[in-house]
Amino acid sequence: MFLNSWSLGLTLAGLIILFLGVFACRTAVRVLRYWDPQSDSNLQIKLENEIWLASTLVEYGLGFQILTVVLFVLAADTFCQVIVGAMCATGALLANNFGMPALLVKLAGVFVYGFWIVLHKLDISSETYPLVRIKYIYLLLILPLLVADIILQSLYISFLSPDIITSCCAVVFGSSKETGRNLLEGFSRPTLLALYYGSIIALTGMGYVLLKRWLVPLAVLFSTGWIWFLGLATIAIIAVFSSYIYAMPYHHCPFCILKPEYHYVGFALYFTLIPASFFGLTTVLVEPFKRRNNLAGSVQKYQQTAIRISLLLLLLLTVISSYHYLLYRISGGE
Amino acid sequence: MLPKGLEKQLNILDFSLTSLWRRKLKNLSIMLVFALVIFLLGSFQMLTGALTSSAEAVLENTPEITIQKMSAGRQEAIPLAYIEKLRSIYGIRAVIPRIWGYYFDESNLANFTILALELGSMPFDSNLNLTLAHGHFPKKTEPGTAVIGRSVQDILGLDKRRTFSLFRPDLSLKSFKVVGVFSQQTDLLSNDLIVMNLTDARDLFGIPVSMATDLCIYVANPTEIETIAKKIAVLLPDTRVLTKSQIQKTYQVVFSWRSGLASICLLTALVAFAILAWDKASGLSPEEKREIGILKILGWETGDILAVRFWESTLVSALAFIIGCTAAYIHVAFFDASLLKAVMVGWSVIHPPFKLLPSVTLADLLLIFTFSVLPFLGATVIPAWRCATVPPDSVIR
Amino acid sequence: MLIELDNTTKIYNQGKPNEVTALHGVNLQIEGRTMVCLQGASGSGKSTLLAIIGCVFPPTSGRASIAGKQLSRMPDRFLTIHRREKIGFIFQQFNLLPRLSVLDNITLPLLPLGISPRERKTKARKLLGQLSISHRENFPAGQISGGEMQRVAIARALINNQPIILADEPTAHLDSRLSMEFMQIMTDLKASGKTIIIASHDTLVSEHPAIDKIINIKDGRIDVP
Repeated sequence: MFLNSWSLGLTLAGLIILFLGVFACRTAVRVLRYWDPQSDSNLQIKLENEIWLASTLVEYGLGFQILTVVLFVLAADTFCQVIVGAMCATGALLANNFGMPALLVKLAGVFVYGFWIVLHKLDISSETYPLVRIKYIYLLLILPLLVADIILQSLYISFLSPDIITSCCAVVFGSSKETGRNLLEGFSRPTLLALYYGSIIALTGMGYVLLKRWLVPLAVLFSTGWIWFLGLATIAIIAVFSSYIYAMPYHHCPFCILKPEYHYVGFALYFTLIPASFFGLTTVLVEPFKRRNNLAGSVQKYQQTAIRISLLLLLLLTVISSYHYLLYRISGGE
Repeated sequence: MLPKGLEKQLNILDFSLTSLWRRKLKNLSIMLVFALVIFLLGSFQMLTGALTSSAEAVLENTPEITIQKMSAGRQEAIPLAYIEKLRSIYGIRAVIPRIWGYYFDESNLANFTILALELGSMPFDSNLNLTLAHGHFPKKTEPGTAVIGRSVQDILGLDKRRTFSLFRPDLSLKSFKVVGVFSQQTDLLSNDLIVMNLTDARDLFGIPVSMATDLCIYVANPTEIETIAKKIAVLLPDTRVLTKSQIQKTYQVVFSWRSGLASICLLTALVAFAILAWDKASGLSPEEKREIGILKILGWETGDILAVRFWESTLVSALAFIIGCTAAYIHVAFFDASLLKAVMVGWSVIHPPFKLLPSVTLADLLLIFTFSVLPFLGATVIPAWRCATVPPDSVIR
Repeated sequence: MLIELDNTTKIYNQGKPNEVTALHGVNLQIEGRTMVCLQGASGSGKSTLLAIIGCVFPPTSGRASIAGKQLSRMPDRFLTIHRREKIGFIFQQFNLLPRLSVLDNITLPLLPLGISPRERKTKARKLLGQLSISHRENFPAGQISGGEMQRVAIARALINNQPIILADEPTAHLDSRLSMEFMQIMTDLKASGKTIIIASHDTLVSEHPAIDKIINIKDGRIDVP
């Protein structure tokens, strides 16, 4: 179903990101081959300039990637209007085997790009540019992810079959209508809520301790905790909070909360959860680089900032996610 | 007190503004061309949205199921006897036979759609009168009467006159009296429509009493539609069974297909624009080169110069985006998208002048943004970088 | 020693057919709070020497220590950061941005430092006052007189309180009166603790009593008299 503004838009965005990525990788290859910090040759000067190009391309890439994630979900929402049996974006994404993987790969892209930028900022804070090799090998490893992204997206779009009238038979056999089907059977609500709020308290506690006194094992626990929390919060949003936002007990779609009818509250939720997880996770990922020349100071500074940002966003997330639920409880439901 | 990093970006933003203003001719011309491209893209997107919601609203009252008889892959008249067979299906509220077809008016070179129903037997038939600007639907007791759409009224010059005539297949004339006119809101579907009694339609088209063009099925419980449709298909294997949701989706797909087609055409304009943007961003006049050299020697890093270029591109595209989208909205809402409607609407000679209500959601804006600002920013990255790598020693002779 | 060059060499296009050695093993020492005149014909390596002292690029080999930092082969970024903190430039043709106001020209070096507009204005106004051009604050730099441009260029070189001033043929387009004024301002700056290096052919400069040392450069080498 390519002949459609949304499909074209997604494909265009994907191609632009790929184009930027390929160019960045070209620099990566050149740097890995010819980089010689002691040399005064024209080539070395050119390479130092190209480093700026690569980092700018990745920064733009990150911005565009975040945009395509949002675009993809919104596109799925419009696709559901023309697909057999899909009532909302969830249905559209589940219409074939490529929808959800495409979304997950795109989300992974956001994390991966973001971490490259963190590495880059750390690298240029030291006069010896100690992370050059690692950075550019990492960049080359991102390229397959970009290619996978656009392939999955294209496969998803091409395997979508809109439900239009054909010349002979037009009765649809089969699918019953989906109302954002309950992706999560068997999660008991009280347990989920206890885990959710418990995790929030634990993460806040750990973060606070880390800000006062840096302990590597605690940091590892903190970052691992964030991976756990990312998954848990997503499930909590789907299984519990979303239905309070929709004020409908059987509507559990994680994507409809992005729509104007619900005041775009989904954006507030995901745009706090995902960056918070990113910063929480990367806190410990940069630890190995502390030992590199002159990076100890910059790494520490980043870790402190990252913990602070993640805790602040966590607080915001708690408030936003709890609001509708508490409103309902306090105004006397159940 | 703002953090240093933020203050720095604000300073650079400030510098970018003055920098843009210092080269206002070049930047204004790029911005206007860009705004034009966005205007076209935005108009298409908003028009599609408006047409879809317009069609949706009007299609709400179509029958849940329509049955057409097929023979050799083409539609032919359906025997009324089939109605008896449908009695065995539980859940059908009413079966209404319908006659419709096209009438080509040679003298005016216009195609009309003729529709005939037994209006008294339809559910919610009292609501039908709401679709009329004035008058009433033809009653069974009033032979030779018709309700017409607004374009039919114009083409046949029926403001003052109340009667018109159409040719039967044997070229004898059949006259009609206008008893009602459709309202403007229904224009999308009613503009070229003439509604009459079944008897009159049979007379006009020469269709036997035992036949109809198709059958409309009204179903009591909406969740049962698919089940009933399946049962009908089994019971009447030589028919095509259409459900309301399929008709709605088809319109959606056609609109978005046309919109997609138009988007492809616009993409060529966009590519041309991206090339222009690249070219303009690449070209550094000696004065600009000198300026960058001076900044660098005064202590501006390559990254800072890149930031200036980034803000310049962002400001130009933001302004173009706002102007283009606003103009598109005005174009669609107040001028009925007159420039573009031909592509989107209808295949008959009549192009209805109906009122469109453009819907502009975040999703629409994001899509327009993707088609316009994204390629523009992508095209200016590498030229911006080339600018920023002017070496500082170029200033020290 | 504020500026010290030890066996400093600069080779352009190393390894290519158009390779050229601009500086051959230059040895140079300049103390703080002094005024030095640099003399050399065009093509003598004077510009290259100025560029190295000015932290524009590092030497190909040898040591160069400027204001406490070794300019070994380091990324451009750090050179730039050091340069903006330590070196103020005054160019031959002033190199102001003509369509920017005098105030904006002077505060250009402060923008990437994240200094607020208010603070920038305060610093600039103080210098404008000291150099007696406050009345030109909002004029486009392209519309003021030559003498005024000179003062704006000086103010710009001082805005970040840089300890070293590098002037490249500053009096080339000035009459003798303005040249004398320029040297007077430089003398005052030296008294206030700045180190000033002026590259100039002008005898008005080289024979000025405030000049502590004259350095001659010829064919990429320091001419030891």
